[in-house]
Amino acid sequence: MTVNAFGSVIETIDLTKRFKDVLAVDSLSLKVRKGEIFGFLGPNGAGKSTTIKMVMGLFHPTSGSAFINGKPAGPDSVDLRRDIGFLPERISFYDNLTPTQTLNFYCELRGADKSVVPSLIGEVGLAHAANRKVGTFSKGMVQLLGVAQAMIGNPSIYIMDEPTGGLDARWVKAVRDKIRALNEQGATIIFSSHILSEVQALCHRIAIIDKGRLVVEGTVEDISDRLRIKPRLWIEASGVDQETISAIRSITGVEEVTVNDEALLVTCEAEARMKVMAVLRERDVAVRDFKTIDPSLEEAFVRLLSEKEGS
Amino acid sequence: MPIALRPVYVIAKKEFADNVRNKWVISLIAIFLVLAVAASFVAGLGRVGEMDVTVGVLITLSSMLVPIISIMLGYATISGEAESGALSVVLACPIRRIEVLLGKLIGLGSVICLSIFVGFGISGVLIAASTGQAEWSSYIGFILLTMLLGLLYLSVSVCISSILKRRVTSLGAGVVVFFWGAICGFIWIGMYAGTGGDAMAFLQGDTSGVPDWFWFEVFLSPQDGSGTAAMLAFGETELMGYSVSLPSWVNLGTLVLAHLIWTLIPIALAYWSFQKRDV
Repeated sequence: MTVNAFGSVIETIDLTKRFKDVLAVDSLSLKVRKGEIFGFLGPNGAGKSTTIKMVMGLFHPTSGSAFINGKPAGPDSVDLRRDIGFLPERISFYDNLTPTQTLNFYCELRGADKSVVPSLIGEVGLAHAANRKVGTFSKGMVQLLGVAQAMIGNPSIYIMDEPTGGLDARWVKAVRDKIRALNEQGATIIFSSHILSEVQALCHRIAIIDKGRLVVEGTVEDISDRLRIKPRLWIEASGVDQETISAIRSITGVEEVTVNDEALLVTCEAEARMKVMAVLRERDVAVRDFKTIDPSLEEAFVRLLSEKEGS
Repeated sequence: MPIALRPVYVIAKKEFADNVRNKWVISLIAIFLVLAVAASFVAGLGRVGEMDVTVGVLITLSSMLVPIISIMLGYATISGEAESGALSVVLACPIRRIEVLLGKLIGLGSVICLSIFVGFGISGVLIAASTGQAEWSSYIGFILLTMLLGLLYLSVSVCISSILKRRVTSLGAGVVVFFWGAICGFIWIGMYAGTGGDAMAFLQGDTSGVPDWFWFEVFLSPQDGSGTAAMLAFGETELMGYSVSLPSWVNLGTLVLAHLIWTLIPIALAYWSFQKRDV
């Protein structure tokens, strides 16, 4: 029991997992607040699944601890798990059962009323396949059944590991809509992803991890601010020579210039933008079009990771 | 260690229901029935043989077949489900690992026991009806011993499944364990011959010169132990026409005790390794 955990639904303190010579999760401390959608972001192999599995009591931490509703969580935290809907990465069910039999089984395990099964199946749009064997399902259908499974017993916390991983657009939308709907009904949702746009669109707060370590935690705006991501100038022009590029680079406030076939990308302070355009005009570069591109988390992410690589 | 019975029952019920659905239970009953009736005809030299001689033939077959069936039922139950990912969904439910383990043992154990009981039971009734003779208490003893052998190999294979990471290595280890029980006797005969014993005389049925330590083999090979125990249950001192005299410490009680140890230690090991396993 810890006072620190008060007020947070999920908390990890110095959570660490070592697999032989690989440090998968390294002293990770996180807090997920009640009622939020919390995005857990990182490249593949960053330690997201490992962290989630430690919270769920599936993996044993090497050191540190995880808390659910302020209580220490582990393999035998039966009562804590009662309130959690869990969707593991690449969920797998028993191939020989139908969705109805599958959900009946999990209802029994969770001690929930089986009468909700048909409506759960309907809610995730699998009513047409209610009596087919899960072994014949597409990946998307299995994932939707996974979502239905997580909803058994109306938990107030959902932990979803890559809920849209490997799904086609149709299913991705279905799963995202479901996440929003569950959150609107008051549930706290933690989901991991390596896709930034997804996290940006859905989450209230985000933690980015890489190589098992927390890189940054906060709201989307927070993270962008903290990283001082500058808008970029996108200029469609031809005949840009090396000298012009050097000239642009020498302007105060310009940080980075990249060129591809038909466009110039300039990362700079807002005040430097007009100077960039002026240089192009002086040098008779034909500018066909230009616009500013807003900072994206994508950039923040890539930048963060490359900074890390560099260090 | 608190254990809730409801989750144990839910898991056991699922394991049992799975094996009813995929026709394993009915197939096993048919196999045991056919096996016993066939053994009876072999023992009766073309007619239905009486229970004691039938069991004499049946022991050799069932002590090979029952372990194989148990290993097939148990080897993937943890490693296979861990590998597919199905186990992590189960363990994320409000259930303790001990409850999952016990549920699986009870569910699969029921499949084995029920199939043996019904299969050998029906054949016992047929044999008794045809021969007009029955030694029911000994025959039921044989059925119970066969069930115990099944549970023993189930607990060993579930233990393997709990310790090993992958389905395929669990199967490999299951095969090794099976062959241990099957070839242990040959190793012992080799040791007997190597220490100056007359192996040829032994193989021809003359066990008079066999030292006491030799009989310890029936505690190390559950297959041989089960066969010996069934023989003792019928009060037989002859096997395949050879008279065998066993030391007094090889009796029904010690053999059953050995079986129980063979069953319980793997369960304890399975619990220990499952508890610390990352799923």
